Amino acid sequence: MAFVAAAAGWLLRLRAAGAEGHWRRFHGVGLARGFLHPSATVEDAAQRRQVAHFTFQPDPEPREYGQTQKMNLFQSITSALDNSLAKDPTAVIFGEDVAFGGVFRCTVGLRDKYGKDRVFNTPLCEQGIVGFGIGIAVTGATAIAEIQFADYIFPAFDQIVNEAAKYRYRSGDLFNCGSLTIRSPWGCVGHGALYHSQSPEAFFAHCPGIKVVIPRSPFQAKGLLLSCIEDKNPCIFFEPKILYRAAAEQVPIEPYNIPLSQAEVIQEGSDVTLVAWGTQVHVIREVASMAKEKLGVSCEVIDLRTIIPWDVDTVCKNADPFSLGLYPTGKMKEETNNLY
Amino acid sequence: MAVAIAAGKVWRPNRGLSQAAVLLLWRPGARGLARSHPHRQQQQFSSLDDKPQFPGASAEFIDKLEFIQPNVISGIPIYRVMDRQGQIINPSEDPHLPKEKVLKLYKSMTLLNTMDRILYESQRQGRISFYMTNYGEEGTHVGSAAALDNTDLVFGQYREAAVGAAYAAKRANANRVVICYFGEGAASEGDAHAGFNFAATLECPIIFFCRNNGYAISTPTSEQYRGDGIAARGPGYGIMSIRVDGNDVFAVYNATKEARRRAVAENQPFLIEAMTYRIGHHSTSDDSSAYRSVDEVNYWDKQDHPISRLRHYLLSQGWWDEEQEKAWRKQSRKKVMEAFEQAERKPKPNPNLLFSDVYQEMPAQLRKQQESLARHLQTYGEHYPLEHFDK
Repeated sequence: MAFVAAAAGWLLRLRAAGAEGHWRRFHGVGLARGFLHPSATVEDAAQRRQVAHFTFQPDPEPREYGQTQKMNLFQSITSALDNSLAKDPTAVIFGEDVAFGGVFRCTVGLRDKYGKDRVFNTPLCEQGIVGFGIGIAVTGATAIAEIQFADYIFPAFDQIVNEAAKYRYRSGDLFNCGSLTIRSPWGCVGHGALYHSQSPEAFFAHCPGIKVVIPRSPFQAKGLLLSCIEDKNPCIFFEPKILYRAAAEQVPIEPYNIPLSQAEVIQEGSDVTLVAWGTQVHVIREVASMAKEKLGVSCEVIDLRTIIPWDVDTVCKNADPFSLGLYPTGKMKEETNNLY
Repeated sequence: MAVAIAAGKVWRPNRGLSQAAVLLLWRPGARGLARSHPHRQQQQFSSLDDKPQFPGASAEFIDKLEFIQPNVISGIPIYRVMDRQGQIINPSEDPHLPKEKVLKLYKSMTLLNTMDRILYESQRQGRISFYMTNYGEEGTHVGSAAALDNTDLVFGQYREAAVGAAYAAKRANANRVVICYFGEGAASEGDAHAGFNFAATLECPIIFFCRNNGYAISTPTSEQYRGDGIAARGPGYGIMSIRVDGNDVFAVYNATKEARRRAVAENQPFLIEAMTYRIGHHSTSDDSSAYRSVDEVNYWDKQDHPISRLRHYLLSQGWWDEEQEKAWRKQSRKKVMEAFEQAERKPKPNPNLLFSDVYQEMPAQLRKQQESLARHLQTYGEHYPLEHFDK
């Protein structure tokens, strides 16, 4: 068990080192030798800035939902929002800067198409955005709130945890805010620093009453976002911002749903279970192939998709139910047993 | 023109923020979805003109350095209809409510008062765990409620959610107002700021009703704010605001009625600050003699009580007398006691219900916990007071 954990850790570092090659050579010399060197090229500098990288792995074109179109992540979000506002006349979208199209272009064109009473800016106040959204949802209308960066969700934490999550429970189902969905750009981009990079899902992962969903790709995003909007519980939908442009694949034009609280096994394996969500799914896929290639280890790769309530059954089907994460099964289990 | 007058009032130092009870902020005609943006007249850009062009404010230049002095000595005046003896002061403000309606106001306030006494006592006897009384503030609840339609939405707290509900009601053309009640202490929360600002910018048909009763548990208003109460904040957000005598049920009624009419017709928020006094303790967990004098409390109880003032009015109209008072006291006591005893006889909800309504559907993990509790109770039920719970 420790052996496998160590091996996987080594693999992750090896993969990261591939990109960090330049830096590692100058380790221990203070500033990188090329820093002030006049012959350092622009490409070198740009490459040195990109310390972390991954390759987005698109899924095969979906056939069962009709005509598809190549969309990147923000376009797939726009498509989901467009479908929602078309289907549901009570649906409204609001948040900071959503009117002109949003800082990540997720709401481009929607205000012109659906009107300024349905797609509108709010003042700069996250607790107000979420509280206001709760109020809309309480009347039965569909509220789609945007928090401009997940890093800013904390002023709304009280509204989410103390109000939204408990609305139905505390009123014995007399009232609810199930038609509230909060969407927010999430995760690192490399240059986001403290307040444009955070992944705060863990803070919500133990809050009963809400659902937290994180897609890995445009196709997943549209289906999961539509499910969140239609779900009868308040949902938080985190959108990996680094994938907004970098991830593009064929996405159905018509609405479709991907179920919540269902993890997806995107690669079968017999030795180790790897669980990830969002951007990290693509990293973990690479780790799985490296494990196969360098260690002869067969990895099961699972995209968790919904963080709460999460799909315990799928994750624990092959893994030992008493300890999650990396755990040897099959061939590796035999070998580690022999170590002890 | 009206803008200049309003602006002048704000800029002149050492004057109150308003001379009238209701601040008149110029509004560009009918509101609503058709004409909601922008508010200010667009100035023509002209380099020859020395008028300010800033998008952020509509105001004139001034070349003298002066800070606006907040006026807390002579604050926003308090609108009232009746004096302390229940006599109408200005006949043109008399709502001329029919006898049945006024009797209903009186009976609601006194029934509430009776319920408060009985439930406070029952907490002292250990029959309920906790209670908060309304002593002294009955006029604010009943006066405002009487001015609403029974399809209007009431939020007791949850200021931002109230604004969202009002926005949805506006979109649905529901002809409903949302009213949100909160105290002067709750008005310090960020929620209030967010609620006011959203209501104003998003043009929501909402009444913010602040009960300023002088205390937030033990914290007096002098430690809660330094400005001129809550009403003075409204204009800062662009909200129509008024301060009323919360112990004058007709004043509360008139203000709420007019605010309701205009909020729905014009799709804009209203702020009513009802001045009153919390005669009772904050709750059954509080003993207010620790932070205020008995004399102060007695003054309000004896000299300025909403129920007394309305009773004086009823008596002067010949619509009430001592006999009816005695009979009604007896009847209201009986009513409350019967309801209380009926509630006391009910068993507590089944422990099963701990797990439902967390989500609309019960997720697998919660179902497992529910089943686990059921099994536990099957084996160890004797150690729990299950006889008090519904089967």
